[in-house]
Amino acid sequence: MNTTIIDLSLWDLVTVYSLLLMSIGLAHILRAGQGRDIFWSGLRMFAQLMVVGYVLHLVFALESALPVLLILIVMTGFAVQTIGARVETKMPNFYRVVGAAILFGCGGMTFFFCTLVIGLEPWHDPRYLIPLAGMVIGNSMTGASLAAERLAAEFRERREEIETALCLGSSVKLAAEPVVSSAFRAALIPSVNAMAAMGLVFLPGMMTGQILSGTEPLIAVKYQIAIMCVITGSVALTTFMILRFGYRSYFTPYQSLREH
Amino acid sequence: MTSRELLRAQDVTVSRPGEDGSYVRILQKTTLGVAPGEVLSVAGPSGSGKSTLLRLFNRMLEPDSGQVVLSGKDIKTLPPPVLRAQIPLVAQKPYLFPGTVKGNLLASARLRRVEPPELQSPDIKNLMEMCQVEESWLSRDARKLSVGQQQRVCLLRALLGPCKALLLDEPTSALDRQTGVLLAQTFKLLAKEKGLAIILVTHDLQIAEICADRIALMIGGSVIETGPVSQVLHAPKASASRQFLSSTVTDNGEVPT
Repeated sequence: MNTTIIDLSLWDLVTVYSLLLMSIGLAHILRAGQGRDIFWSGLRMFAQLMVVGYVLHLVFALESALPVLLILIVMTGFAVQTIGARVETKMPNFYRVVGAAILFGCGGMTFFFCTLVIGLEPWHDPRYLIPLAGMVIGNSMTGASLAAERLAAEFRERREEIETALCLGSSVKLAAEPVVSSAFRAALIPSVNAMAAMGLVFLPGMMTGQILSGTEPLIAVKYQIAIMCVITGSVALTTFMILRFGYRSYFTPYQSLREH
Repeated sequence: MTSRELLRAQDVTVSRPGEDGSYVRILQKTTLGVAPGEVLSVAGPSGSGKSTLLRLFNRMLEPDSGQVVLSGKDIKTLPPPVLRAQIPLVAQKPYLFPGTVKGNLLASARLRRVEPPELQSPDIKNLMEMCQVEESWLSRDARKLSVGQQQRVCLLRALLGPCKALLLDEPTSALDRQTGVLLAQTFKLLAKEKGLAIILVTHDLQIAEICADRIALMIGGSVIETGPVSQVLHAPKASASRQFLSSTVTDNGEVPT
């Protein structure tokens, strides 16, 4: 079996980009008006990934903790910003709450896995830390957006229910409970569904990547299982923190619902 | 303040940012009190600040200045949930939690984390009778009741706590005339038999006349006249009251008789 990976030449890349041209053509036939989007997204992907590739190349060569941490912080920053862009109705203190939750949720889970489970040596080995943290942060970002969005929507739609509970003498926590639990469920659904369908419906990206680069399939599978657990844990922890700190901001200090 | 009063708002002012960014006064230095066993109706045109005033009493809103007093003590000295259980508010549109009528009646205890009341006890059976909530409804889906029945369940649910006063925000406006009149009679009965202090916000002067002892007319964020219902409705002192009462007659054809 050939365990060395086949490099792609520039010509190979040009060849695959022709598939995007085909997609643009198909979009044009259906008058979907998407041609421009496909073109620019394809171009952005090329530029962004090439930059990432060179940065990683450099960081791997440096073998020091500082640039690795820097990359993780930048990733966290981008994640928080992306959530901010996606969530239309932001709760008060949005960025502080989401930033802290992502930092502790993702950071905690990644550290747990890299240090306590696989015992990474040195702890900042970028070959493991960066892709693992990337997957954890990416998934937690999706979960956090879903949770924050659902929380805002439910507080809007279920105002009557919450006010009724408050008017009967309910604490803020109990009055918000149905809304908070619904937001938590919404955030976890993608991870739960992904775990249940894993291997049947699709072969996950990390496992596929490892297999492509020559890892023994059983090892790749075990890594995939581990990372799914870490991702689910991180989504749950991040979401929990956002909801726990976030729901209070919908109430006044004297425990009534804030006006819109 | 008179010593008989249970609940009183003293010089309360509420402002809200208006659409152009400037502050709009919704209530200006308003004072209003209600005694145990008394039904006080607050009437006035829409936008006069009636509902805003009502929400100050159970601290769903906080005034910019002035204070609200319950049994001689500023309501800020009580934790809001404790206050609200003593002064529940029944809204215009009945809201019932999903589930049975029984579940709704027990919800207030569940939300306050106290032992659920025994629905078969004589006291509660008596309350059910007063609110005209029938025992056969208990196992039914609360949301399948008629609006009038739902409002009765909301009323009873509010009374199952340590209730001292009751805030009613246009409780009959979603109901037909006959159902509204019956409910108004229930309010009067509750005040007299249970000694509750009731504040009833309504724009419907007929309903006020059926059940209220006193009426306060509000216009533009101020109480312009308070007094016994028959006196205020038939021989108002303030010219603004006369104007409002005559406009009500022409607008709705509801001649206060």
